[in-house]
Amino acid sequence: MAATFDMLLTSPKETTERESAGPRVELVLVRAVLDGDREGFAQLYDLYAPLVHGILLARVPRAEVDDLVQDIFLHAYRKLHTLRDAAAFGPWIAMIARNRAVDFHRRSKETVEINDELRGSDMHDSKAAEILELIRNLPEAYRETLVLRLVEGMTGPEIAARTGLTAASVRVNLHRGMKLLRERLGFMEGL
Amino acid sequence: MNDDYLWDKSGPPDPEIKQLEEILGTLRYQPKPFEVPAPRRRSYFPLLAIAATLLIALLAGGIWLRVRTRDQVPQQQAAVPEKTPIIAPAVEEKTTPTPKPQKRLAPREQNVAVYHKRRNTPPALTQHDREEALAVKQQLMFALRLASEKLNLAHRKTQSMSPANQIKNQHRVG
Repeated sequence: MAATFDMLLTSPKETTERESAGPRVELVLVRAVLDGDREGFAQLYDLYAPLVHGILLARVPRAEVDDLVQDIFLHAYRKLHTLRDAAAFGPWIAMIARNRAVDFHRRSKETVEINDELRGSDMHDSKAAEILELIRNLPEAYRETLVLRLVEGMTGPEIAARTGLTAASVRVNLHRGMKLLRERLGFMEGL
Repeated sequence: MNDDYLWDKSGPPDPEIKQLEEILGTLRYQPKPFEVPAPRRRSYFPLLAIAATLLIALLAGGIWLRVRTRDQVPQQQAAVPEKTPIIAPAVEEKTTPTPKPQKRLAPREQNVAVYHKRRNTPPALTQHDREEALAVKQQLMFALRLASEKLNLAHRKTQSMSPANQIKNQHRVG
């Protein structure tokens, strides 16, 4: 079984192939985990941790993201039997991450954001935090897609395949979000 | 703006996007090992506790019943001879000549035997009791006859009332 996963994961990764192979890999891995293969879930984690990390980074303070990623995968592991369509693991865990971010804001206090900004001691890091803050202030539809593309380094087709969004809407979100970000970055440079 | 590079990193890289990627790349996810939790072993403790409680309750009930029945058996055995000394002499004569060696029964069997004996044997009465019972029976029959006659008389009286009066009364009431 492990050999099958390796074959699926290490096959030549052309963009179109990745789009079609993604759900197939999920399907095999989810079924394996449900059959008791714990190693299969570790592989699902490796595949989807960047997605969950990006979704959270677009919504919650950086200091909280890593712990929340672990929590979300732990929750997903326990609730995996409730997933009806094994091929839809990506959209399912993305939804869990979004909901968890909403819960976090319900429970957390304003001071968390201030601590997060104070954390960036490095100049490069503070610049990154600043741009990230600009992205977070963009409309919700654009921020997640932009973080996944610019921070996590995923391509548009990958974002579409993992989140369950259509390629067209990801493309539009990327284009419009980038346009807004450029405008705001220009506004910052002007100051 | 190079849309292709933004979309799938194909084509010539857009310098601005490239710069953003480099800056924001520092925030990228750093792979960390995920400890897949060990499957939870089902705890049988609650089930065992319930089973043990039921067992103890059953044992206690059994012991209580046993003690209770032991206490009742001597009382019943003692009560039986008081009520059955008067048996018709003819019957007694028939049964007494051949005394059989009585089998010793277990306490529970003894109890059952006493119960059947009490049910099957008719209540033995003396001559005086019988006469008294007959007199009571005659008085009861007389009282019943008397009550029946009185009821018949009352019925006849109600029937003999004229229907005109009934209507008149109803009219008055209405």
